[in-house]
Amino acid sequence: MRQGRLIATGAMLAFCLFALWQSLLLSLTDRLGPGPGFFPFWLALIGIVLAVALLIATAREPRDPSDDETRILPHGPGALRWLAIVALLAAATVAMAVVGFRITMLVFNAALVIALGERRWWAIALFAVLGSFGVYYVFTTWLDVLLPTGWLEF
Amino acid sequence: MEALTHLLHGFAAALSLNNLLFAFAGCMLGTLIGVLPGLGPAAGTAILIPLTFSLDATGAIIMLCAIYYGAMYGGTITSVLINVPGEAASVVTCIDGHQMARQGRAGSALGIAAIGSFVGGTLATVALVAVAMPLASLALKFGPAEFFALMVAGLCLVVGLAGNNMLAALLMTVIGLLLAMIGVDPVRGAPRFTFGVEEFYDGIGFVPVVMGLFGIAELLLAAEKRQTHMINAELKTWLPTAKECRQSAGAIGRGTVVGFVLGLIPGVGAIVPTFMAYVLEKRISKTPERFGKGAIEGVATAETANNAYANAAMVPLLALGIPSSPTIAVLMGAFIINGITPGPFLFTEQPALVWTVIASFFIGNALLLVLNLPLVGLWAKLLKVPFSYMCTGILIFCVIGAYGLKQSLFDVWVMLGFGILGYLLRKLDFPIAPAILALILGPMMEKSLRTTLEISGGSFAIFLDRPLALAMLVVPVIVIGFLIFKPRSLSPLRESDVE
Repeated sequence: MRQGRLIATGAMLAFCLFALWQSLLLSLTDRLGPGPGFFPFWLALIGIVLAVALLIATAREPRDPSDDETRILPHGPGALRWLAIVALLAAATVAMAVVGFRITMLVFNAALVIALGERRWWAIALFAVLGSFGVYYVFTTWLDVLLPTGWLEF
Repeated sequence: MEALTHLLHGFAAALSLNNLLFAFAGCMLGTLIGVLPGLGPAAGTAILIPLTFSLDATGAIIMLCAIYYGAMYGGTITSVLINVPGEAASVVTCIDGHQMARQGRAGSALGIAAIGSFVGGTLATVALVAVAMPLASLALKFGPAEFFALMVAGLCLVVGLAGNNMLAALLMTVIGLLLAMIGVDPVRGAPRFTFGVEEFYDGIGFVPVVMGLFGIAELLLAAEKRQTHMINAELKTWLPTAKECRQSAGAIGRGTVVGFVLGLIPGVGAIVPTFMAYVLEKRISKTPERFGKGAIEGVATAETANNAYANAAMVPLLALGIPSSPTIAVLMGAFIINGITPGPFLFTEQPALVWTVIASFFIGNALLLVLNLPLVGLWAKLLKVPFSYMCTGILIFCVIGAYGLKQSLFDVWVMLGFGILGYLLRKLDFPIAPAILALILGPMMEKSLRTTLEISGGSFAIFLDRPLALAMLVVPVIVIGFLIFKPRSLSPLRESDVE
């Protein structure tokens, strides 16, 4: 946990340093007053000070033995479910641009409920169809929400 | 008197069939969100935004507000029946509510919770009617310096509630503000931090970020733990006895006052009023030993404070344009999506909309009371839906919500990225709420500060000439300084108070 907090704070420090560099590429002031770089510059500077202070405070914290047992990344049987959600959602986002919402979500729904433990084929099929073609119909026809049709226009 | 006239007009519009249906649907969906453990009101409200895309602005806001206070009520059901709070504010309700359920008094607990929520929510809305317009009139006299100071004060108060985690909360606030800088500069119109990516020109979308940080992160945490719940409480009646109502009357009154007053303060969060109301009730009770063992006053005061807080939290949003919690920030995002900027001008520029929405609060509170008492059994059954379907169903809504606003798959990636980030931040105990509020307030803060400095020719001394702005900047800094360096003995609330 302590190590994780140090890494996360370090990442935020890097983000603030990057923002500071980028804001310096913009004008801090112009003839009308503060320029586009003014606000992000000061924010990034404050962020750097805070991140350094937090790094020092975290590093000086007394070591808690229970911290070693706290895992930051997913672990155990839950890690597979975690990975299934992330991987399938990423794959669905890529696929939606190609084959559209309906076919993508048909496969996504079936794959995810199976990955999360469902085994009754009729329930999987029903849920997959309702959650893709059914949802598409409701949102596009009744709620006027445009959903991706992909290159196949489907 | 003027407020009353506006309110009557608001009732006329809110009672139209369409708006009644939106309020009804919002209450039902909100209660559903509240019932599902782990899915809080902020994520729930964000996930359901796509349902309102095709509605007019008034209908959309009515429905989303109803989802919000429906979710605040819905958390009670699981707290009482299975000792699992549906959302954070219901944690205190578990203490006596579940004990009552184990004694066969689940119906009484849920009944008094519904009555308390109705009374607290309704009285808080009455107070909102009385307070909002004078506050908005006062805010109309504000210049950009005062608005900037007000937003700084709002963010500081949110940070102030982070307790020992204050440095992390301050850093998260700055990160949220920096993320808000991506896109087109609000004053000069120059692109900033876009790196040639077309999608960055509109800035980082608020809805995908909230859905990621709250919705996706919650699902990832739940998937790792594999939450399964079994209903183990039997529901025989759904009404408290007359004696129980008499016992709870004082607690409901005190819960209303505590919830309303704390709801006005940005950043307090729903759990603090419920906690404080419970502690107050226990401290003044002649039989404090009953608390924790099924005291109905404990349920009544916590739930009343919860809903009074939910309605009072709308005052800073409507009158000042300051969101006081992540859920209110989501509602503010929904206002902006619909082309409405919350704040003092709302009452003068869009009085019909704002008073219709306020009138709908009264209607929504009544709907929740009428609907939820008989439907408690149905809500309880929903907990038996397997996680695999619940999780996949919520993800479908998340994808539609993230994509639907701008028809951009890039926003789905943003949602997924912030989902993983939210999961890690939650595990590392970094507070997310300050970043969310900063993300939505960032552009307005920058615009106010830069306009102020343009007026003064670049001099910060302008804040010294504006006493109100100066006070709003100095007081939060003193409060935060006090909170960082305060002696430990001054902590007003103790965990032992609710044991």
